[in-house]
Amino acid sequence: MIKLKPFMDFTSKKLQLRIVFTLFLAIFLLALATGTGMAQENVEAAKTTEAAAEATAEPAEATAEPEPEPEPYEVVDYRNFFGIDGRLIVWIISQLHLMFAAFVLAVPLFVVIIEVVGMKSGDIRYDNLAREFTKLLSAAFATTASLGGLLAFALYGLYPAFMRYMTDVFHPFMFIYALCFFGEVFCLYGYYYSWDLLSKTPKGKWIHISIGVMLNVFGTALMMLANSWATFMMAPSGIDMVTGTVTSLSHAFANFLWMPVNIHRIIANVAFGGFVVGAYAAVKFMGSKTDEDRAHYDWMGYIGNFIGLGALIPLPFAGYYLGREVYSASPVMGNIMMGGAFSWTFIVQAILIGMLFIGGNYYLWNGMSRIKGAERYTPYIKYINIIIFFCFAVWLTPHNLPLSGEERALIGEQYHPFSKFFGVMAAKNAVVNLLILSTFFSFLLYRRANKGETKPFSSHGRGARITLIIAAGLTVMYLAWYALGLRGLELEENILRYVSPLVTCLVIQIIAIVIAILLAFKNKGKLAQGFLFAVTTITAIMYFWYYGFVVMEKANLVLRYLSVTQVSIVISCLIVNTIIDVFLFKNAKEVGGIQWGKIPHRSQYALLLLCVAIVTLMGLMGFIRSGLRMNWHIYGYMQDTSAGSFTPSIAYMGWTVSLIVILFLALVSLVFWLAGLADKKKKHA
Amino acid sequence: MKSFLNAVVFTLGVVGFFAFVCMYVTSLSGGMGGGGATGVSPEAGEKIFWGDGQCHTCHRIGTSGSATRGPDQEGLASRAEERAKEMGLSSGLEYMVESIVNPSSHIVEGFDDIMPKVFAPPIMLDREKILALLSYLQTLGGESDIEAVTKFKDRIPEASKTKVVPWVPPIEVDPKEGELIFFDETRDVTCSKCHVMNGKGSKVGPDLTGIGAVQTPQYLIESVLKPSDVIVKGFETMYLMTNDGMAYNGLLVSQDEEEVVLMVDEDGVMEEYVFYPDEIAQMQKQDVSIMPGNLSEMLTTKEFYGIISFLLSQK
Repeated sequence: MIKLKPFMDFTSKKLQLRIVFTLFLAIFLLALATGTGMAQENVEAAKTTEAAAEATAEPAEATAEPEPEPEPYEVVDYRNFFGIDGRLIVWIISQLHLMFAAFVLAVPLFVVIIEVVGMKSGDIRYDNLAREFTKLLSAAFATTASLGGLLAFALYGLYPAFMRYMTDVFHPFMFIYALCFFGEVFCLYGYYYSWDLLSKTPKGKWIHISIGVMLNVFGTALMMLANSWATFMMAPSGIDMVTGTVTSLSHAFANFLWMPVNIHRIIANVAFGGFVVGAYAAVKFMGSKTDEDRAHYDWMGYIGNFIGLGALIPLPFAGYYLGREVYSASPVMGNIMMGGAFSWTFIVQAILIGMLFIGGNYYLWNGMSRIKGAERYTPYIKYINIIIFFCFAVWLTPHNLPLSGEERALIGEQYHPFSKFFGVMAAKNAVVNLLILSTFFSFLLYRRANKGETKPFSSHGRGARITLIIAAGLTVMYLAWYALGLRGLELEENILRYVSPLVTCLVIQIIAIVIAILLAFKNKGKLAQGFLFAVTTITAIMYFWYYGFVVMEKANLVLRYLSVTQVSIVISCLIVNTIIDVFLFKNAKEVGGIQWGKIPHRSQYALLLLCVAIVTLMGLMGFIRSGLRMNWHIYGYMQDTSAGSFTPSIAYMGWTVSLIVILFLALVSLVFWLAGLADKKKKHA
Repeated sequence: MKSFLNAVVFTLGVVGFFAFVCMYVTSLSGGMGGGGATGVSPEAGEKIFWGDGQCHTCHRIGTSGSATRGPDQEGLASRAEERAKEMGLSSGLEYMVESIVNPSSHIVEGFDDIMPKVFAPPIMLDREKILALLSYLQTLGGESDIEAVTKFKDRIPEASKTKVVPWVPPIEVDPKEGELIFFDETRDVTCSKCHVMNGKGSKVGPDLTGIGAVQTPQYLIESVLKPSDVIVKGFETMYLMTNDGMAYNGLLVSQDEEEVVLMVDEDGVMEEYVFYPDEIAQMQKQDVSIMPGNLSEMLTTKEFYGIISFLLSQK
């Protein structure tokens, strides 16, 4: 067999030396060019000094001339970056910093969980996986910190007046931020470098896990501190809106949008981290030479996708909560977001989220090909596929497409007679929930792909029964609490009557959960799951889709309660069905093992798609969140009077975000490559 | 290496698709961003309408835009002329100027009083931009007349350049106490007897849900202290005298060929009275609001500012 020589062998030491030398040369030339510029400035300054010295040295001739007034110090509010708009620079750097920060904050969250799973199960693979993730983390951490420093310099240099004020308000928290940063640094390096040392005894392992928990505490604190500055800019509080005097530092810190953004970011970061490590595993899988490596990276990609999808499912709910709070903080801002300049960006968002759900499901379906016994479930996949594409299509249908006069005359009305029903919130809420239920259903199929005969529920002991009762009980209590809240609403009678069906649906769901639990106890877990799925789909999707239109027309105020009821019913279904599933397939007979590494190559592109889509989505949402302030640094208090205060077009945003995504992925690839160099050295040794 | 290159090509393809979608959406939505518009001209005004002014957030123009919160502005200039005649204003342009300077003064039937003052924060259009906007609005069903537009220059307030107009109560008050008084039915001054707030209360007077987002503190204070100064359209008091000499003052609930329904305050309780046309001797609008004018005597200073703070918090 002829072995083809690779186009470029990156393991070659010679090539690596060349790359290092080229980089050094590039940096040297850049420094030289910058130095020349500085030198020219210095030459001019020197000439001026010399001229001044000459002038003072000739007093006889100069006595007649009055001394020129010294130029006053000029305070500037804005600067640009060597002719490039300062906003563009800050936009790119801050977004890159946020992406790296999302990665380094999210990865420790699931690394610690994976380590605990490894310790409890005694499976060394989990421990190795957690360690490999941490290796990526420590490499990315330095880049995050460097970008953070660069961002601070860019902000202070390009927006001095704005940053002066922000420093005035938040300087006590800036010191806390620095302390937390130290805490994170020490915990991260302690966590990484003490792995071997503390893995020898169970006590040591717990100490190691505790360091990991502290790493998460410091990381989350850092994120929350920085979030308060960003949300203060959107919804300022605790200051006098005329003079800017701080009236309450705690209110400025814990402003109206702070907690909604915290919740949304934590969940989004986990999804982001999961999909990024999934893509890392995909690239490694595609380049693997041995079955062992392929099996390892296949498994790693599966875990990454599992984490990403797991976080993606509740993300729309957190997004809805944040959007609602933006609307509550400022109706003008809310209108700009959903009905104004930014409404079309949500169509782009729908496309990206659609990519995530389709990519995630596609990967799961491909993954079933490596599981013996999965063929029993493959016929269902095409139906799930149809549902997901249908949901995707409805989600990205705009409320109204701009029509020409001719088209309007042809249709006979302003809105398209058919698509108008898909463009409103009632339809979109329904399909988002259906999308989540379908993805969850896909996951359940995947889980049971190699499982055969299940064991009776009673064989799992009392613990299982108690766990199921507690989980279902808490879910039922929440539903009952919300139903009682709805009943207690003090609204006008003609509005209140539109709330009653919501309460009825919640009661139906409670009854359905109780029936599902009883069925599970009677060893009919699959029927219980199907029953709960059916009830949830009928009430939360089908009925609320229709009822949403009724409410929008007759009592719009009720729509917000309807959305929360819908979400609550869907979440209750997810929770109860997951718990039933865990016990249903516990110790179940296996039809065939999972052949890790025997997954089609095309599935790895799904992992890549998930990574690119979530990075792009983060770039897009960063633009929306920040852009909502329009021409304000601090909404309602400090205006942005710089040349770049306009809202850019979506096309401009698209190009900028694309550039950011490419930069981020290139940097991440470089950092991960560097992190892998040590392993290569070990292997060669 | 080949797999890495494949991954790079795939990634660039996905990012390229995203950029293409953004460009396509831009061409579809027509939203090319704000900025760049200067001077008083219809062209500059059009850019402001779709950009800095954020008018398109609530108004569409025929098939352009999709907002339905405010009236469709197609043919606005010709409609403004008609309304100006009905209201005794000099021109349609004056009607438009008044609608911008004081949006609550002319509420189109079927729409809520939600329009913010565009010269106030957070929109803060300066005078020149508002004039440009007016010249553009003239082209919607009419022709632009920049000279006529600039004559209204002094009627348009200059935008505050830097800061939001503040309001701080002169004494420390708690909006929650204001809320309690607003809904306290044991008192004579219960606001909710006549006003709806978040779906709660009676619809005798204007609905105050979200009032803090659209009205200034000054307006609210004046409305409570001097209710007759500005009476919201649709809530004017009607004076009615019957053939047998009985006089009634109340709010006009409905009026058609068969009957006139008036809401009358009977010792603090609002009751509906039905009158048939043949029993009405005289009927005319009054300049006095049905809202009590002595609230300042019925409330303590703390209670008064508590209610104002509560109203302002309703955004």
